[in-house]
Amino acid sequence: MIGTLTNLGLIAQAEAAAIPPSAAAALAVGLAALGAGIAESSIGAASMGAIAEDESLFGTGLIFTVLPETLVILALVTIFLV
Amino acid sequence: MRAIGTANYAYVVARVRHRRSALFGEEEYRKLLRMGPGGIARFMEDTEYGAEITDLGARYDGVDLIEYALNANIAKHFDDLLRWSNGRLYDLVARYLRKFDAWNAKTVLRGIYSEATEEEIRADLIDAGEFDETFLDSLVAADSIEAVTDLLADTTIGHGIEDAYAEYEETELLVPLENAIDRAYYERLAGETLHGGRAIELYEQFLEAEIDFRNMRNALRIERSGADIDPAEYFIEGGSLFDAGEIRSLAGNRDELLARIRESRYGEDLSEAIDDLESAESLIDFEHALDGAIVSYADYLSHVYPLSVCPVLAYVVAKEREVNNIRAIARGLEAGLEREQIEAELVTL
Repeated sequence: MIGTLTNLGLIAQAEAAAIPPSAAAALAVGLAALGAGIAESSIGAASMGAIAEDESLFGTGLIFTVLPETLVILALVTIFLV
Repeated sequence: MRAIGTANYAYVVARVRHRRSALFGEEEYRKLLRMGPGGIARFMEDTEYGAEITDLGARYDGVDLIEYALNANIAKHFDDLLRWSNGRLYDLVARYLRKFDAWNAKTVLRGIYSEATEEEIRADLIDAGEFDETFLDSLVAADSIEAVTDLLADTTIGHGIEDAYAEYEETELLVPLENAIDRAYYERLAGETLHGGRAIELYEQFLEAEIDFRNMRNALRIERSGADIDPAEYFIEGGSLFDAGEIRSLAGNRDELLARIRESRYGEDLSEAIDDLESAESLIDFEHALDGAIVSYADYLSHVYPLSVCPVLAYVVAKEREVNNIRAIARGLEAGLEREQIEAELVTL
């Protein structure tokens, strides 16, 4: 039993990694974008509320809404690392 | 009834906070105090209330204009709250705003009792609760108190109104009916158990506090008036401070009642007011302190739980306070009260 397991382990090591590096980097960017999207959803709703009350808040609202976007830009760095 | 979708706290809270910060501050009240009723209407034209003042300006003037503009404005704002909210938030806001259903029902009863015209009654209603316009119109059009109670019996505030009507027939007094409406409103509010996080717990605590304060107020008023009334009849279930049996024994004994309030969880906020009440004997100041305590408690909740129903509640309470203050100033000036006297009537924070 233990023998087979060790053998399987050896075979797995010999194969290529389950996720190739470029795919992992793509995943990282994708997850970061998802996170930013979730964060932006309530910030966006809140800024729409604020803008509806007072149009002069448009600039502030816009800046706060896209703030989580910096996360995606940082995550983009992983693409250049692999 | 629109309880679909998920609660959109972020949107509603952002709008509500903006409106909360646009409410009148001490500076504005001081300006208002320096004007006459006509001046107040002109001043209000340049504020929040501008649209209502212009709309109603052709039909009314003086203090009536201010009064109707305030009613129309508060209805507009609270309707907005319902229009914006979705899902859970809508439920929570709507059940709180049923307060205005109770208010409207009582206004109609009083109107019919005092034989006011339909138009007069309709102008005094605040169209902010769950009752829609057609239902309000049918209430106003009802020709007797009995017809009104029949209409109300099927609504959310109708519980127990039929028994109260029987009592009304005996005594010819509106008190039992008004009482039944208040009770049905609060008991329904406190009776439903809500499930949710800490914010919901605090929301319930806030409602408890409102009920407790109302019970306190009733007990103190009965004690003060010395009338031979059973306080348990006015007691509203659902608070945390008293139960019906206790209120009966406490209402007869003011020192014990005050000691009880002092020991309770509201003791700290109200201690100054209780001291005043003990020395100055002024119930009015104490009642204002209760109003103030509710507003500051709601504000506290809205800071601790920013994304919940609490900021909306805080806004509702603060807006009501503002409307009451403006009304007090306008009516006070009309009656020729001294400025200091009117100032004492205001609840500012």
